[in-house]
Amino acid sequence: MSLSDYHASTGDWRTQLKRNERKTRLVIATFIAVYVLVGLIVDVFILQSYYPRASLGQCFHALLTLRAVPYATLLMGGLALISLLVTYSMYDRIMLLGTDSFEITPQTARTLQEKQLYNVVEEMKVAAGLRFMPKVFIINANYMNAFASGYSEKSAMVAITRGLMEKLDRAELQAVMAHELSHVRHHDIKLTLMVAVLSNILLIVIDLLFYAVVFNRERRDDNRLVTIIVVLRYVLPLITVVLALFLSRTREFMADAGSVELMRDNEPMARALLKINQDHEAHADEYVEEYGRTAHEEVRQASYLFDPSGIDPIKSLNSAFSTHPSMEKRLEAIGFRRKNK
Amino acid sequence: MSTFLIITLVIIALVFFWFIGVYNTLISLIEAINNNKRQIDIQLDRRFKVFESLIEVVKKYMDYEKTTLKDVVALRNEAQNAKASGDEKTRIAAENGISKIASNLNVVFEQYPDLKASQNVLQLQEEIVNTENKLSYAKQAYNDGVERYSAKKKSFFEAMVVRTFPSALDKSFEYWGLPEEQSKAREDYTVKF
Repeated sequence: MSLSDYHASTGDWRTQLKRNERKTRLVIATFIAVYVLVGLIVDVFILQSYYPRASLGQCFHALLTLRAVPYATLLMGGLALISLLVTYSMYDRIMLLGTDSFEITPQTARTLQEKQLYNVVEEMKVAAGLRFMPKVFIINANYMNAFASGYSEKSAMVAITRGLMEKLDRAELQAVMAHELSHVRHHDIKLTLMVAVLSNILLIVIDLLFYAVVFNRERRDDNRLVTIIVVLRYVLPLITVVLALFLSRTREFMADAGSVELMRDNEPMARALLKINQDHEAHADEYVEEYGRTAHEEVRQASYLFDPSGIDPIKSLNSAFSTHPSMEKRLEAIGFRRKNK
Repeated sequence: MSTFLIITLVIIALVFFWFIGVYNTLISLIEAINNNKRQIDIQLDRRFKVFESLIEVVKKYMDYEKTTLKDVVALRNEAQNAKASGDEKTRIAAENGISKIASNLNVVFEQYPDLKASQNVLQLQEEIVNTENKLSYAKQAYNDGVERYSAKKKSFFEAMVVRTFPSALDKSFEYWGLPEEQSKAREDYTVKF
């Protein structure tokens, strides 16, 4: 499969960015709505144990009109805020865990290739109008992959494997770095972290509630609340996972479009994606072993440029729950449609 | 009556905060453009320094470069004088002249195989590509900034805020581009073998 198998057109990054921005807003709104809803359910549960004779509707109404203070909702909000702050301050140190990596700067670049990599990132930083130069790391690995991290422009970093640096030409490397810098300037790391933290808190709360209901000996006249809690206990994990994955795929599309925006050219990105895909297929066994040997691979999986779980026969089973869109769809979004054979 | 009053107050407060929001956004867009424009200057300056040292190095191999260095310095002076007197057109023309010399330099490298092979020259070539890229991306970032600002400024509702504070918010920025006749010439230009 090469680029000649595709109909080429110009990548309409403005529309792509707008569409995905809208999708993101939808996901975040749904997420916050679910969060508040669960908070209110907890509050109703607590309220009912104080006033056993009040009906569900009365409790809800009292909470919504603030006649009863929704303590649980507020508490959950505070908890979310604190955990987010803690996660943001710790996060950039986690991403390189387990890899054999080193930072490059203009002074420490040993070869022309390393110097070129730094130059390419600097060029894209100028194009994106970022105020800070992200740190650039090289990971000593043969597989072709890259990721970005950092919760703000200031703490941003990009990492790229040696395999990727050696096998791509200058323009392709630039497209990949533009993709990574787009993750940084779209604040994707912040966003995915927020969703991860919030869904974890959500699941803990609903679990606590579930056990509180199950081990509650009091008889209740109204069993509707119990039913809702039991259903949520099993449905909520699914909802949060689907939302998070949808968000992650949306952000990948956005970063691809952002790469086209910065380079004003969609071909290098398409070439790079195809090259990485082919390389992963050609060396599947070798790379599965190499990814497997690297510890803590799961922290990077969602932020990789290319999702390596596709080449692993065991992991590819759950491709319906994939963090990345398929290669075809990504190429189509930047203007390359597969020719019919 | 009192609920009506409260609702009116809330609406006024919301409009007020929206006003402040639009004002601040426009100011930050204007400052981003100013910064991007300085970024172009920084890249132009950087390019001049890189080319000076480049030509110094290549001079040892070819006397072709003695005149080239003079050309670059002359164009640079022209650009700086134009910048000082605020003549954007002459300045852009002079800077474009330097760009042309840069691509000529790469052609010169191609003509000398042993020169082309040396590690030093490979590094220099990377340096030229990097410098030219940075300059064009700086121009692109500037134009993107102008696009964002102009679109915001001319949007419905936002335009009302601009009309309230014209001195602070109503700026006009030129897109960075080639003059009409030059872009026509570039368009018609082809390479014949």
